[in-house]
Amino acid sequence: MDKRMERRFFLRTAAVGTVVSVLGGGVYALASPDDPRGRQLRPDGRTRLPPGQRLLDALKPMGGEPGDPSPSAFRLKVYGEVDAPFEVDFAGLLAMPQVEQSCDVHCVTGWTMLDSRWTGVRVADLAERARVRGSARYAIFEAAEGYTANVPRAEALAPNVMVAHRFFGQPIPRPHGPPVRAIVPDLYFWKSAKWLRAIRFARVDEPGYWETRGYHNHADPWKEERNG
Amino acid sequence: MGEGPPAGAGAGRGGGRGAVRGALRAVHRDLGHLAVGLTLVYAASGLAVNHIADWDPSFRSFDRTHDLGGPIEGDDAAIARSVAARLGVVGTPKDVYRAGPEQLDVVYERRTLHVNPVSGRVVDEGQEPRFLLRAANWLHLNRGKKAWRYVADAYAAGLIVLAGSGMFLVGGRRGLFGRGGLLVLVGAAVPIAYVAWSGGP
Repeated sequence: MDKRMERRFFLRTAAVGTVVSVLGGGVYALASPDDPRGRQLRPDGRTRLPPGQRLLDALKPMGGEPGDPSPSAFRLKVYGEVDAPFEVDFAGLLAMPQVEQSCDVHCVTGWTMLDSRWTGVRVADLAERARVRGSARYAIFEAAEGYTANVPRAEALAPNVMVAHRFFGQPIPRPHGPPVRAIVPDLYFWKSAKWLRAIRFARVDEPGYWETRGYHNHADPWKEERNG
Repeated sequence: MGEGPPAGAGAGRGGGRGAVRGALRAVHRDLGHLAVGLTLVYAASGLAVNHIADWDPSFRSFDRTHDLGGPIEGDDAAIARSVAARLGVVGTPKDVYRAGPEQLDVVYERRTLHVNPVSGRVVDEGQEPRFLLRAANWLHLNRGKKAWRYVADAYAAGLIVLAGSGMFLVGGRRGLFGRGGLLVLVGAAVPIAYVAWSGGP
């Protein structure tokens, strides 16, 4: 009798816990705004809001192992399959040609932020300075604590891909990878490595931190390339 | 995992089979006790990380803006000291960096003060680690030292032994050839059915 009661108690508690968890997630999803901008078309004909995404008004902190946010300690190394590897500090990065761009970013967990505004340096400009060899087919973004993310060369050198140091005109907030992070708007946001330390150009592909943990190697939001 | 009869108990009833079952119980019991700590770590972290879409599982973020009422005089170090004193921030900054005439970043271990010395506006933002979850997630996501991999491997192997020994703890109609077997099949069917239903990887 006692054992039966224990089992009933366990099942009831588990059921209540499951319902609370599910509703908790549901309440959060329902709270997202319904914005007509999501149905607008991009120049390439795709909708701004990729399938399976919901709109949020702000970047959501998604965790990650924080690196050193100190601008004084920052160094960005550009190396690998290049003829002129170099390292630049924060002041050096600010001295390079700056671009400010507005772009949409898409997190693999299902949220999208439209019109996020970033200031920084194009990866294409960094690659040009490093004189990337023709043999380089991938860019590997290397960040704090061994985090890496791999991006095919053509996509890494797209004009909207950058290393950013400002978000809406302000320094990048602590949860979002200061002092400098990568921005790769057309791939899921885990490719946009926070606490960026280096860009390594590589001959062969090297799946990164999440790619080796079951996430998709390419991460196109419009193809819903979430899992590998 | 519960307290069972001592190893060898039941040998009189079932002969060799009873002795094996007794040994399995001893292994299961001791391994179960050993696994409690790591199971709590991985289970709590698993729940936390599974819901990463809804929250930052490791940190609580804050962001406050203060208006200190006009220009702040002095060199960078003096400005940093003055702002910290007026906001009640204790500790020594790890970095004071002048990014421009209207931006002085004062970086502490867990927070950064973005100071505009001209206007006196200060953005105080940072992250506080979540109690226990921060460490649990750090272990779970294997961002600790490489040695942790061996601990995690040993734990995973231990779980396999626990699952295997658990199947043979009880005989009869509640055992593997009765209700226990049915539950094993149901448990195994869940991932198989999900892969079939979802189309798999």
